[in-house]
Amino acid sequence: MSWRGQLSQIVRELRIHFCQTSSSSDATREFILKNYKDLKTLNPGLPILIRECSGIQPRLWARYAYGVERSVPLEGLTEPQITAKLEELSKYAS
Amino acid sequence: MVRGSKCYKVLQARGNANFRCLISPGCKAATEAPAEGTILRRNAAPISDSGYCRSFNYAAFSSTKCSQPESCTRIPLNLMRALANRSIDVSSLGASSSVQRTPVCSGSTGLIGSGGGLQSVRHLQTLAVTPTGPKIIKADTEETIEVSVDGHSLQIPKGMTVLQACEVAGKEIPRFCYHSRLSIAGNCRMCLVEVEKTPKPVASCAMPALPGMKIKTDTPLVKKAREGVMEFLLLNHPLDCPICDQGGECDLQDQSMVFGSDRGRFTDTKRSVVDKNLGPLVKTVMTRCIHCTRCVRFASEIAGVPDLGVLGRGGSEEIGTYVENLMTSELSGNVIDICPVGALTSKPFAFTARSWELKSTESIDVSDALGSNIRIDSRGPEVMRIIPRLNEEVNEEWISDKTRFSYDGLKRQRLNEPMIRRPGGYLEPVTWRAALSAVAQAVHQVKPEEMAGVVGKLADAESIIALKDFLNKLGCENTWCEGIGANIDADVRSKYLLNTTIAGVENADVFLLIGTQVRKEAPLLNARIRKAVRNNRAKVATIGPPIDLTYDHEDLGDGTDALIQIAEGKHPFSTLLSKAQHPVVIVGAGVFERSDKDAVMAVVETIVDQAKVVRDDWNGFNVLLLEAAHAAALDLGFVPGVTAKLLSKDHLKFLYLLGADDIKPDDIPKDAFVVYQGHHGDRSAYRANVILPGAAFTEKEGTYESTEGRTQQTSPAVPSVGDARDDWKIIRALSEVVGVQLPYDSVSAVRARFLAVSPNLFRVDELEPPTVWPQSITPRSSSSKIESSPFIKAIDNFYMTNSICRASRTMAQCTSAFANLKQI
Ligand code: SF4
Ligand code: FES
Repeated sequence: MSWRGQLSQIVRELRIHFCQTSSSSDATREFILKNYKDLKTLNPGLPILIRECSGIQPRLWARYAYGVERSVPLEGLTEPQITAKLEELSKYAS
Repeated sequence: MVRGSKCYKVLQARGNANFRCLISPGCKAATEAPAEGTILRRNAAPISDSGYCRSFNYAAFSSTKCSQPESCTRIPLNLMRALANRSIDVSSLGASSSVQRTPVCSGSTGLIGSGGGLQSVRHLQTLAVTPTGPKIIKADTEETIEVSVDGHSLQIPKGMTVLQACEVAGKEIPRFCYHSRLSIAGNCRMCLVEVEKTPKPVASCAMPALPGMKIKTDTPLVKKAREGVMEFLLLNHPLDCPICDQGGECDLQDQSMVFGSDRGRFTDTKRSVVDKNLGPLVKTVMTRCIHCTRCVRFASEIAGVPDLGVLGRGGSEEIGTYVENLMTSELSGNVIDICPVGALTSKPFAFTARSWELKSTESIDVSDALGSNIRIDSRGPEVMRIIPRLNEEVNEEWISDKTRFSYDGLKRQRLNEPMIRRPGGYLEPVTWRAALSAVAQAVHQVKPEEMAGVVGKLADAESIIALKDFLNKLGCENTWCEGIGANIDADVRSKYLLNTTIAGVENADVFLLIGTQVRKEAPLLNARIRKAVRNNRAKVATIGPPIDLTYDHEDLGDGTDALIQIAEGKHPFSTLLSKAQHPVVIVGAGVFERSDKDAVMAVVETIVDQAKVVRDDWNGFNVLLLEAAHAAALDLGFVPGVTAKLLSKDHLKFLYLLGADDIKPDDIPKDAFVVYQGHHGDRSAYRANVILPGAAFTEKEGTYESTEGRTQQTSPAVPSVGDARDDWKIIRALSEVVGVQLPYDSVSAVRARFLAVSPNLFRVDELEPPTVWPQSITPRSSSSKIESSPFIKAIDNFYMTNSICRASRTMAQCTSAFANLKQI
């Protein structure tokens, strides 16, 4: 799981968007519950913005150096799949 | 309301699919006429409370149709009070909508759709959310009683007054002293109606409706009685309407059009009354007072300052302050709106404009973090006055004095052209091109780590996101928002928002206020807490600088000692808190800037945990932000990033201040290049190398998020001064000159960017409730130790908090008048 610790070296900001209630965001909320603490402990300086808004599609955004951003929709993914997506995002060389 | 065999609203309703009859069950007014005798009643929102729109007067009392079309905008808003918040629960009437809107009278016969008064086009989309639509009052439940108004019987909830019953029936009753947010005085007698089997007309505002009552509102007797009352009121009222600032929006003037006589029978000299000095804000012309005592009741009930009172009796009755005294409330300006005549008017506005020449723009206030809804009245390029707009969930119908009176600061000290500081130290006005390329040059000479961007108190979300994107593109992560502390963590929204919501605070029964002087930081929130104290006998305890909060509270000291004791369960207050049904903990600005903030917050979290302040159905943990820009800046993640080296300010070589004025010039390294973008030549402008003039909140369409997380937008009321530009446009232009062009060219494109960063900012006029996460998901900060130092005062002088206030003469007068008084 070493990529987690390396996250803040590549990613400048993570943003997780989801809806407070809809079921398509269930997995995203679970992902946050399970992983946020770990990610934040390993990357204390990294802003991980958890942003809720009713009725939106869950999405994971990563901002890299010099304002480059990438995002993946999380709808229909399970919690491990979201983790995999995050790992993917964390490996982009910017 | 019934004419011949058809309700005349039916005629109006044709083609308006939204219209539904509120009383008659199967009636679809748009397509078919209701049965004869059906009473049609208007929806809750647009019925005026204190008076009527003038056109309505004619319609109501002379049974002519309103000449105003539905889009009428000429009606003074302060006359329009919503039925929605009468002491009765409107939802029980079924005539409410889950979307609260400012009511706008739509003329006397205007029809309001099922969504409750719909105001501006901007609201159109959002209104579609969940309108519950008017329902029929259930006649068969126990709580309703049957009364008849002008021959039409109707069911009303028990406990209503006759006046409210008449309103339900669609009969407007003229009134002066009655006000739905104040206690009932019943002393003007204007609201007389006839009730069968009573010997004389009764004051409907003070008379409870009883089962079987037969109320008559339009008999000759009633008319005569009201005419009599009006004649008495006018006996001593001066004939100075032409020079009275209330003219055109005066209840007395309006109602005398209906009940007044064209000549007087009074031949004596009129009574004279000495004008009182209530301070630099409220002008008094006491001969105009009709002794309705609304102002007295407002001061003692809402504002919580027993400064005003009635002196004398009969012919020598006067409203005054007992002893020579100023009105020491930060809500004092509201007595101007509430006074039905011209006895209390605005001093700064006096003789500057007539109400009918003003153009009104609905907007949002930025002087504190509550986002009060305001109406900006302007004439040409000048803001003439600011008055409140009704929003039950935010400011009800009040605004603070700073909101109301600091507008004159918008005319002074304005930055109107780009400037560059020349070697001699003087600022030279230059073209935009020159100024932007000077900044670009400076940007190219420094490393990304040596740059920083600071957002000030009044910045809108558009400019914040533009600045963030711009700096990020340059590789700079060194961004922060002033006044909110350096080590703020913006990850979880529920940790920095007012989760209980402003209106929700009213339901609480125990308050713990930590490091906050609510009365100064958010006067209207303080009024809500006061309401809870009055209505629920809520207990309030404060830890922080001592302050008079206008209600009883326990002062637990100004340091962290009591806080730790409560967390450890050793303090008597901790039992009170944990026994509370709806406990509220509010953490204020006194905590943000502390070096041991994390430790303090950890203790607060322990308290919150132990007392179960956050439950499934109740979230009592609140952070009260201080400034209008804060919530949006945090939502957008305008916080120090991964590579930020915030603590060593010395290495900074390039500083971008977006209206940030609180940074001390000494803290900025001597050789740093400082760009100041803002609308006032305030503190930081003196240190700036380049000045880029921006627009003030009255001049642009900006998105702001309030401390409870409500997204709202200002609207431009006046043009920006000189060469100034919208803030986000300046940053956008600069980014192009620097060579890192931002990908948006229109304001809607900037807002589309919100969708990618914090989508809730895209939902204007909506409150996106933050998710409550279990505390265990955040890692506990282990390091810092809590200090016992006292909490600081975040605001020293209520009247001088931002660059607009500091340029305002009125605010300066308030400072000198009130500064020595302990209360404010
Ligand atoms: S000053 Fe105005 S509000 Fe106060 S009692 Fe007189 S008329 Fe009423
Ligand atoms: S409104 Fe009823 S007595 Fe004044």
